[in-house]
Amino acid sequence: MSSLEEPREKHILSRGLDEAFMRLYRVAGFIGRFFKEMVRPPYEINEIIRQCYEVGYRSLMLICMTAFITGLVFTKQSRPSLSEFGATSWLPSLVAIAIIKALAPLVTALICAGKVGSNIGAELGSMKVTEQIEAMEVSATNPFKYLVVSRIMATTIMIPILMCFFGGIGLFGSYVDVHLSENTSFILFFEAAFEKITFADIYTSVVKAVVFGFTIGTVGCMQGYKASQGTVGVGRAANASVVISMFLIFIEEITIVQISNTLRAL
Amino acid sequence: MDHQHSHLPTDQPVISLRDVYKAFGSNRVLQGVSLDVFSGENVVVLGRSGTGKSVLIKIISGMLPPDAGTITVLGEDVTVLGERDLRALRLKIGFSFQSSALYDSMTVRENLEFPLVRNKRQLTRKEILRAVATVLDAVGLSQTMDQLPSELSGGQRKRIGIARTLILRPEIMLYDEPTAALDPHRDKRTYPAGAGTI
Repeated sequence: MSSLEEPREKHILSRGLDEAFMRLYRVAGFIGRFFKEMVRPPYEINEIIRQCYEVGYRSLMLICMTAFITGLVFTKQSRPSLSEFGATSWLPSLVAIAIIKALAPLVTALICAGKVGSNIGAELGSMKVTEQIEAMEVSATNPFKYLVVSRIMATTIMIPILMCFFGGIGLFGSYVDVHLSENTSFILFFEAAFEKITFADIYTSVVKAVVFGFTIGTVGCMQGYKASQGTVGVGRAANASVVISMFLIFIEEITIVQISNTLRAL
Repeated sequence: MDHQHSHLPTDQPVISLRDVYKAFGSNRVLQGVSLDVFSGENVVVLGRSGTGKSVLIKIISGMLPPDAGTITVLGEDVTVLGERDLRALRLKIGFSFQSSALYDSMTVRENLEFPLVRNKRQLTRKEILRAVATVLDAVGLSQTMDQLPSELSGGQRKRIGIARTLILRPEIMLYDEPTAALDPHRDKRTYPAGAGTI
């Protein structure tokens, strides 16, 4: 490497670092503003309820269908392996552990990242590029509180609720398969399923769902809120909302599981 | 509907700009702009595309900060106002956007109700509906009440955008490209002047 090339490389590295820190600073500023606006009256209760309906009710059918099929298929595919060891009686416990501890929060979050995150990114992005957010500002309405706070709160509240539906319906799907194969009663199945589930497992899953919900809402709103360059910008905002949310969800999943396991080992 | 007018002496300008500068990167858009608009006066700013007309009115309404200079609107320095005071001042400033900027998920009625419901909380449902009907009639679009913005023509959207601004009965009106997409014979009827108009 010649001596002339060194400063340029340093410059590129330094510029990259500067950009990364600036991005982090903007994210921190956005989250900080969310908490500041969230606690400051007036509260947008009606808009939060409307967004909860949009996020929760409109995703419910998709979540329930996915959960039922996941529970049913997971049970079907686990049975042959367990029966090799004569351990089919463990099937309800195995499915319950898989669904409650891992699948319910993760699959719910991934579905919502695709459905809700892209919707938020596209909607706010479109409002940004067509000056609707500025119009709100000049009509003396705080657009951040009205659009961003309500959406982040809705995803943070509704994704844990959707996760509970996923868990319940997923286990029901598993029960249907077990019942059809072994004629197991409903009560016996659920007693066996919850035998190995502790309060800490459920608590960890709820914490995961809250964190995932907050992430999906924040990423979607942030991407939409900073959209520019017309329809291309709207498409980019929707796309980035999904990709970044999913990436962060996987990182958060690993981190929370690691922290939870460390705490349990203490 | 209540309508609070600022009590400025008539010899004082309602809008006053002094040595306003604004640049976007290396593109210097405004260079030392000074301007006074008095009550009842209509000022038209003409210029080629990209010369900063929209930037100028966004700076007046406090949506963009200037790089330098002072902007006084209805006796208040826009550059030093806090968020809450700026919001209160904006209630007295009407802003009509170049693109009309209607909320596309709301019907025409909901678009017009929006600023009233949020800023005039003391109004009854009946008073709000009456105000909506009045402004819609003023822009000649009473029949579009329950339509979505996507179902309207460009000119109709523009007039609804102006109606949404007028519903708060602002003291100052700022129009960005006001005649774009409008029929020439309708222009005169659509734009009422406030205490000051740009």
